[in-house]
Amino acid sequence: MACGRSLDRERDAMTPAISLQGVSKQYGETQALADISLDITPGKMFALLGPNGAGKTTLLHIICTILEADSGTIRIFGVDAAKEPARARRNLGVVFQQNSLDRRLTVMENLEFHGMVHGVPRGTRRQRIGELLEAVNLAGRKNDLVETLSAGLARRLEIARALVHDAGILVMDEPTVGLDPESRQAIWHYIESLRREFGLTIVTTTHYVDEVENCDTVCILDKGRIIALDSPKRLRARHGAEYIRIVPNDEAVADAIRAAYPDLVSTLPDGLLLRIPDAAFTQAFLAEYGNAVSELAFDRQSLESVFLALTGRHLGRPSATAGGGRR
Amino acid sequence: MKPVRTAPKGRLPLHAVAGGVYAIWLREVKRAIRDRGQLIGGISRPLLWVIVLGIGLNPYFRGEIYGQVRYVIPYTYLQFIFPAVIVLNIMYTSVQSAVSLIWDREFGFLREVLVSPMPRPFVLLGKVLGGATVAMAHGCLVLVLARFADVTIAPSSIAYGLFLMFLLAFGLTSLGIIIANRVRSFEGFGIFANAVILPLYFLSSSIFPLDPALSRAQTLIVYPEWLVLLIEFNPITYAVDALRGNFIGFHQFAPQMGITVLVAMAAGFFLLAYLEFRKK
Repeated sequence: MACGRSLDRERDAMTPAISLQGVSKQYGETQALADISLDITPGKMFALLGPNGAGKTTLLHIICTILEADSGTIRIFGVDAAKEPARARRNLGVVFQQNSLDRRLTVMENLEFHGMVHGVPRGTRRQRIGELLEAVNLAGRKNDLVETLSAGLARRLEIARALVHDAGILVMDEPTVGLDPESRQAIWHYIESLRREFGLTIVTTTHYVDEVENCDTVCILDKGRIIALDSPKRLRARHGAEYIRIVPNDEAVADAIRAAYPDLVSTLPDGLLLRIPDAAFTQAFLAEYGNAVSELAFDRQSLESVFLALTGRHLGRPSATAGGGRR
Repeated sequence: MKPVRTAPKGRLPLHAVAGGVYAIWLREVKRAIRDRGQLIGGISRPLLWVIVLGIGLNPYFRGEIYGQVRYVIPYTYLQFIFPAVIVLNIMYTSVQSAVSLIWDREFGFLREVLVSPMPRPFVLLGKVLGGATVAMAHGCLVLVLARFADVTIAPSSIAYGLFLMFLLAFGLTSLGIIIANRVRSFEGFGIFANAVILPLYFLSSSIFPLDPALSRAQTLIVYPEWLVLLIEFNPITYAVDALRGNFIGFHQFAPQMGITVLVAMAAGFFLLAYLEFRKK
């Protein structure tokens, strides 16, 4: 027995949850995805990070087989998604960016519908729906119409729904977009507990940098290409620099700082960001401008700074060249 | 912590596919029951057509002109249009039910179905069956008015009548899906649907008969040729004729023509709808 189990484990370690080989997608003139290859290890939390229009959603739609890639292969637990899309989809639980609940049905009816179209037998379905409703704390609302739920609750319901059919992989496109910070935190709390409870592999996109810090692997996409693929810790160690974020008292101060450190400054929507080249810089800067700024914060090697180091642009700010393309 | 899931699953078994079709059907029916507006339309439309138009025009259908009794058909106008109103109610509800497809696309629910392991043709089948069931139910609302229209429905004709109504509803719901796939907005759909429904209805010999006592040559003298051609070309004409044959025993065309056209329409439109649906 022991031997069989170790063989199982060996096989499991070899079959990635999701494996992409040379995936490309073009929309007219725009190269949405260019030759993406990556493997996602089972049981891990994998995040796609990138600015708007980087191709995150396109990649996710290709993984969940509602969009066809121009070239390349996608395997879900070894099942070729192009050849057997219906079978590949059985292992995927998907949460879309845009709410996809039926608002005129109740919480329970939405979950029942999902279980039925995924072929979950009635007994198993009832039991699992009960468990999931408890897990996301919605048991008390099960007979309410979805249109009466708040955005945060609806999101929780969608995540629970994605797991009714015993999916091994939970794919989520911006699961926390449009939610207040408190609900965002709650959602991640539920995702983490579901992952532990059901042994899930999690694939998610986000453009909130703080949300990917706890992931096992981060894939940073920009203009349809992978520009970094590693654990957040190693990415920060390799590319991250330290920054100071400041909000100057007035435009004159901002201009003066820009003039003094043209190589280090970049402008943010609500202030300035300065890269710290060495330890002496911070002291000199504070001595000179310490009193002329209203806010000051240190940005210690966040993934945002990794993105900045790799592309010279900021994540949050939509750039003119990479905008649009998202649905 | 439970062990990490890694095993791929097999193909969805056939009984599970059937369960999925049932789920999609059930959702359509539930939504229709909860939609008050649709129900009110389904009741008010036949009331208007049977009670106002039917009763109003009844005396003019068979009458004396210059002392001579003009024979049209041996039925009252109410009896004559009654089967056609069933068709009208089914037409509106079927085509409107396809609006739910636009809703689903607009509000993302369609994706929930598309990422399920249900094969695409069965997703469409569930949707069309659901829409057709609701439309048939709206057709049955008209049947309730039968006694006001002096139509005695023989119990033996009910089963076959329902079957004909279902075929018609199935074909027209598929047609609605084809339209919904081409029209992207709710507003556009409403207008376009009316532009399809009303001409099909008026040109189906629903509200006036092509006088069966006249030969074809005589008909062409009484009516302009284009009108006769359009009516003969319109598949709804044969649906109306089939229901008339079943409920009041009056046929203007060969009795087998109705069922043939209805089956062909259901199969043909469903196939076209599937080809459209697959593009998504």
